[in-house]
Amino acid sequence: MTGLGVVTPVGADERTFWAGLCAGRSAARHRPELAGMPVDFACAVEGPAPEPGAAPGPDPRPAGGPYDGAPAWAGLDVDAAVGGRSVWRMARFVKLALIAARQAVADAGLDPSAWEAGRVGVVLGVGVGGVAALCDNTLRLRDRGPEAVSPLLVPMMIPNAAAGEVAIALRAQGPSLAPATACASGATAISLARDLLIGGECDIVVAGGTESVLTPLVMAAFARMGALSARTGDPARASRPFAPDRDGFVLGEGAAMVVLEREPDARARGRAPRALLSGVGASTDAYHPTAPEPHGRVAQAAVEAALRQAGWSPYDVGHVNAHGTSTPLNDAMEAALIERVFPHRPPVTAAKGVLGHTLAAAGAIEAVATVLTLERGVVPPIANLDASAVEFDLDCVTKEPRRERVETAISHSFGFGGHNVALVFRKA
Amino acid sequence: MNRIHPKIIEVLTGTFKVPAAEIVPEATMDSLEMDSLAVAELAVIFKETLGVPADSDTLLKDASLAEITAYLDEAAVGVGR
Repeated sequence: MTGLGVVTPVGADERTFWAGLCAGRSAARHRPELAGMPVDFACAVEGPAPEPGAAPGPDPRPAGGPYDGAPAWAGLDVDAAVGGRSVWRMARFVKLALIAARQAVADAGLDPSAWEAGRVGVVLGVGVGGVAALCDNTLRLRDRGPEAVSPLLVPMMIPNAAAGEVAIALRAQGPSLAPATACASGATAISLARDLLIGGECDIVVAGGTESVLTPLVMAAFARMGALSARTGDPARASRPFAPDRDGFVLGEGAAMVVLEREPDARARGRAPRALLSGVGASTDAYHPTAPEPHGRVAQAAVEAALRQAGWSPYDVGHVNAHGTSTPLNDAMEAALIERVFPHRPPVTAAKGVLGHTLAAAGAIEAVATVLTLERGVVPPIANLDASAVEFDLDCVTKEPRRERVETAISHSFGFGGHNVALVFRKA
Repeated sequence: MNRIHPKIIEVLTGTFKVPAAEIVPEATMDSLEMDSLAVAELAVIFKETLGVPADSDTLLKDASLAEITAYLDEAAVGVGR
């Protein structure tokens, strides 16, 4: 893994993202566009301060931590960051992916105008796609007839639009894919990127996930199925992975992209990898459309497959970046899995406490967080979790980031549909 | 004729991010890098905001902004009648 890019509710560059994650405070807040919905709060990628020079809001980060001195998150002007004349044809999930992809490629020290385009692949996981454009045009069709329907609707809403636009922007003409494994899509994308490299189809793969569905329809739907936290009186305390009083996830939006190359290729061009993707594993519960198999036995098979591919025993794993959605069922299943497979109690974190659940982006964002933990020797805390209240036998990092040198780590991702993906990383 | 309809300027700069300096009466969709999807979307916007039908293939594709302006002015009179 030679390059990283992130666009998240706490920062749209690596440094600000990491500072926000380590601060351990949830980005959830009430959203005016969700007013009237049963759940009216979420974790959004905020826009810039409304007026030049206006305060972007209080910096929630206390002084003295490893995040001290990082710039306060002042929001992102998404259209300006995308730039150029093509912004109009992109849905927001595409824009977020493009910004993250450019970051990752620049971080890898690669120049798309110079690379052999046919050897560069794009794998970009998306769970839902351009649902806002679909909703808008459904209303136009109903109210004003077919002539009011945008000719852009199809290219804007299709989930693979992100992979296509990133390929255009980066001049990547190798294979491209848009895996849809719901909340595991970003991790599936990284796993598939590894296959493209090992199979020799690509020399460089830009991979990750993106999602932006903070619309009334999607919020109403997730709320109706009982997946969301209903803590409307206190949004900042709603996402609380592994807490006994967790009551659902908080919806978020974002994107993360990484650049993957075969290690000898990266070193041959004088580039040290930022981390090594040592193994991947996947399985499918084949149990229920949304509920995880309660004991996590099938998810465990994905973890074991990743360890097998890496040639590790469970005791080799020094850190777990958990899926940790803050739903009662996921966290119970995942905690049981971690207790069973990793009895040596490696430190556990879960980024969704801070970021909310960014769906298809989550696995990729958490892969980036895992790499940063390996590089920096710091495990970010789980937001809203009191260590004394944890009902599971897990070493959850709470309150403050923990300085701990870890050489190896695993990141779990589980998606509606029963998709389980595990990625294991080694410090480079 | 040197005038450009204000809606054209508003939509080209606002939605399609065309630099204002390029929006001159003799400019065409091609010269402004507006591809067929963009031109089709522009036609929908004219219909939605001005109530003026504007077929993207026959009217907008090869016309200059001056010619499109003349059409919109004339059609708007028709819509108002």
